[in-house]
Amino acid sequence: MYNYLEYGSSDAPRNHEDPEQYDRFMARIEAGEKIEADDWMPDDYRQGLIKLISMHGISEIMGALPEKEWVPKAPTLKRKLGIMAKVQDEMGHGQLLLRVAEDLMKPYGKTRKDLIENLLSGDLKFHNVFHMPTKTWADAGMVGWLVDGAAIISQTNMLDASYGPYQRALQRICQEEVFHAQHGEAIIMALAEGSDHQREILQESLNRWWPSLLMFFGPASADTTGSSKQDIMIKYKIRKSNNEELRQAFLDKYLPRVFSLGLTVPDETVHYDEEQGQWVYQQPDWDEFKQIIKNKGPRSKERLRLRQIAYENNSWVRQALSKEVVGS
Amino acid sequence: MEETNFYQEYEVFSKKSVKAPIQHQFSLLAPNEEMALSMALENFMRREDVLDVWVVKRENIRRMTSEERTNWTKRLDNKDYRKTKGYGYLRQKWKEKEQGMLDEKEIMSWKEVKKK
Repeated sequence: MYNYLEYGSSDAPRNHEDPEQYDRFMARIEAGEKIEADDWMPDDYRQGLIKLISMHGISEIMGALPEKEWVPKAPTLKRKLGIMAKVQDEMGHGQLLLRVAEDLMKPYGKTRKDLIENLLSGDLKFHNVFHMPTKTWADAGMVGWLVDGAAIISQTNMLDASYGPYQRALQRICQEEVFHAQHGEAIIMALAEGSDHQREILQESLNRWWPSLLMFFGPASADTTGSSKQDIMIKYKIRKSNNEELRQAFLDKYLPRVFSLGLTVPDETVHYDEEQGQWVYQQPDWDEFKQIIKNKGPRSKERLRLRQIAYENNSWVRQALSKEVVGS
Repeated sequence: MEETNFYQEYEVFSKKSVKAPIQHQFSLLAPNEEMALSMALENFMRREDVLDVWVVKRENIRRMTSEERTNWTKRLDNKDYRKTKGYGYLRQKWKEKEQGMLDEKEIMSWKEVKKK
């Protein structure tokens, strides 16, 4: 999951908004009511949600595509079944979320086709972690454990989101993520308690994923990338915490576990500062992050190409299915 | 058919057990109802216990509009005369006459009567 928003600028013209309607809307969300797709909402609420949820949804799918490559390479039948179930869940999450985005896009006359085309043209971004390569089976575990762990931190932060359809989708998604997290932990645990070689590939995998995990939550402030929608999403009660608070929550929950397995992170300065009450760590390379989210990451082109091939190769299926089924 | 008209919106409902009411799950896009049903099973019933699944084309559902929902929920007060709550004083009356109240719990327990 993937709640980081890289572009904050509003590209659609703002409707003239009635201040009374706006106040009523704010009163509703302050009172904990849920906003539904056909309720009145301010333009920046709708547009912020479209960006957030379409990116979240498409990232689920972009993440499932490279993950499915591990199905034939899984070391045992049990692991194969486990990772297959996870891939299927991710595609399911993608479908749920795209539905939520599509209903929000309806007033603009946009559909799923626009989402897929925007992805292929580079206008719709997918999460930075899915631009990265995977090398060994340890990566399959690392993605399940720590990447999904980071996703769980961001997603649970939105379980009370003011937008009803997203909030309901997230309940289901988070419940399934618990299985993903434990599936990842099971792979990690086997490697961590395994041979020297297994421990080596695990450490090597963590070293490679570390910067991506820090980047997962996005930069602490908009100064880094020019813009960020975290403030508006907090104002509208979609999420509760800002990027840095989420990153700290992730480090709080996961670093002690990382260390308990005898693993290290590739940053000698990492420590918990009791006075500040937070983790101190070296910033990842945010310039690299900016490149990654512009689809200039190590695997961006290949992942998009995979999606494009699937879209083109399957167009005959869409054509065939668009006819009414002949009754038996 | 144009690919832009390819997808239809379906709402998915399911039933967990014979006693459970039918429950709304979510919506999905599918080209026809056979695909909608098959995708409903894939998307929503991967782990859940399920006895029955319905898919309904969204356009065939007349749901409340946003305005109707607001107005409806506004008038949902002062309905004690329709509820047992409005007749709660009877408990005390029956007590005075040394009788128990035939409340919901009592009446719903009358599934079996003595065999003659």
